[in-house]
Amino acid sequence: MYSVLLASSEGAAGAPMSPFEVNTGLIFWTWLVFIALYFLLKKYAWPAILTVTVQREETIRRQLEEAEQAHAKAAALLAEQQKLLGESRTQAQSILAEAKSASDRERAAAVLKTREEQDQLLARARREIAAEGEKARQELRREAVDLSLAAASKLIGERLSSDADKKIVLDYLSTLESSH
Amino acid sequence: MMLGQGPDIGEMVLHHTADAWTIDLEPITTIHLPRWADIHIGGMTLNLSPTKHVVYLIFAAALVFLTMWLAGRSLRRQRAGEKSPKGFAAAMEGVVLFVRNDIAIANIGADGAKFAPFVMALFFFVLYANLLGLLPWGASPTGNLAVTAALAILVFLTVEIAGMTKLGFKGYMGTIFPHAPGMHGPAAVGFSLFMAPIEILGKLVKPFALAVRLFGNMTAGHFVILSLFGIIFLFGDIKGWNWAIGGVTALLVVGIMMLELIVAFLQAYVFALLSAVFIGLMQHEH
Repeated sequence: MYSVLLASSEGAAGAPMSPFEVNTGLIFWTWLVFIALYFLLKKYAWPAILTVTVQREETIRRQLEEAEQAHAKAAALLAEQQKLLGESRTQAQSILAEAKSASDRERAAAVLKTREEQDQLLARARREIAAEGEKARQELRREAVDLSLAAASKLIGERLSSDADKKIVLDYLSTLESSH
Repeated sequence: MMLGQGPDIGEMVLHHTADAWTIDLEPITTIHLPRWADIHIGGMTLNLSPTKHVVYLIFAAALVFLTMWLAGRSLRRQRAGEKSPKGFAAAMEGVVLFVRNDIAIANIGADGAKFAPFVMALFFFVLYANLLGLLPWGASPTGNLAVTAALAILVFLTVEIAGMTKLGFKGYMGTIFPHAPGMHGPAAVGFSLFMAPIEILGKLVKPFALAVRLFGNMTAGHFVILSLFGIIFLFGDIKGWNWAIGGVTALLVVGIMMLELIVAFLQAYVFALLSAVFIGLMQHEH
């Protein structure tokens, strides 16, 4: 049976042939034909058949990329907005705090000023009262001198009106005052 | 008893499946192909004379190109007319896209589109070569070990060269001298050296299996069909039964032909699929 497998099927033309024989020449022919077919198909056939699919794939890929980019951009914008919002909030708070402290300061200053004015007024009033009091006291003293002189003149029956007399009384009164 | 007297069925089967220096178009004519002188390269003897299978190879390639070129042209025209593809062109587009997306890209991965033309050419070339054997006077070039070996060698070279460019020299050597995880020092080196012959064998077995599988499937189908036809020649001269034998044999052959039709598609699919898988495996080797 093995002899049948290797038997010549083409006697007249030359070399014996069997399905189990490897013809090296045919290997080269196969490479030649297949490689030629590969390049011909690649150049003339596949682009025409695949162009729409490849374009569609490309479009989808690009759109996906774009969507991703847009997403990243939106996220960045959102972060930026939030940062700005936070910043403006802290700014508002600081402005508010500043205003509050300013108003506090103002009020304190106003209170202080009012108090000073009051004090000044009070002091002036006191001064005036003191001056008035002094004036009244001097008046009273004068009156008292005149009265004592009048009383003394009545007592000694003689009019004492000389300046020397007046001085005696005044000296007396001043001793009274200093002892007082 | 019958074998001795009747025609030699074994010889007939081998004659029809083997390559030849002639193309039998009996009873019309027999074409004798030109014989060229042997070429001697070193110790090798090479004869590049065209054979029957060379002619059918070229025929298959021409048919593939014609089909795809016509499909592409009509697709382009239909699209230029703002119409969606229809008919033959749309069907071819579907098949081509199936091979490209579900065989090449699905199994190779990210770089699938780069290898898709190779896988598509393999699929359609093998398919057409398979189908040619089912035609009257036809022959399957893929039923010849030299042809399937040549294709398998191309797949092997594609796998290894693409692997080398993708992984770099160091990464590629890693596929021959594997590094065992968790091993260090002399033990790791010893393990790598020990595994190298097995890895090299693994690289060679894949294309070998590709070649033998396709060759075996095609040849076996032809053997079965021709053997069934042999029944007619062996028992056809029994008086009163000859019509019944002819009818039953024809029915059996039609059945096997149907099966062969499926096998032709299946083996083209398997060849392209495994080629894509091998390329993909190498691309993702770490």
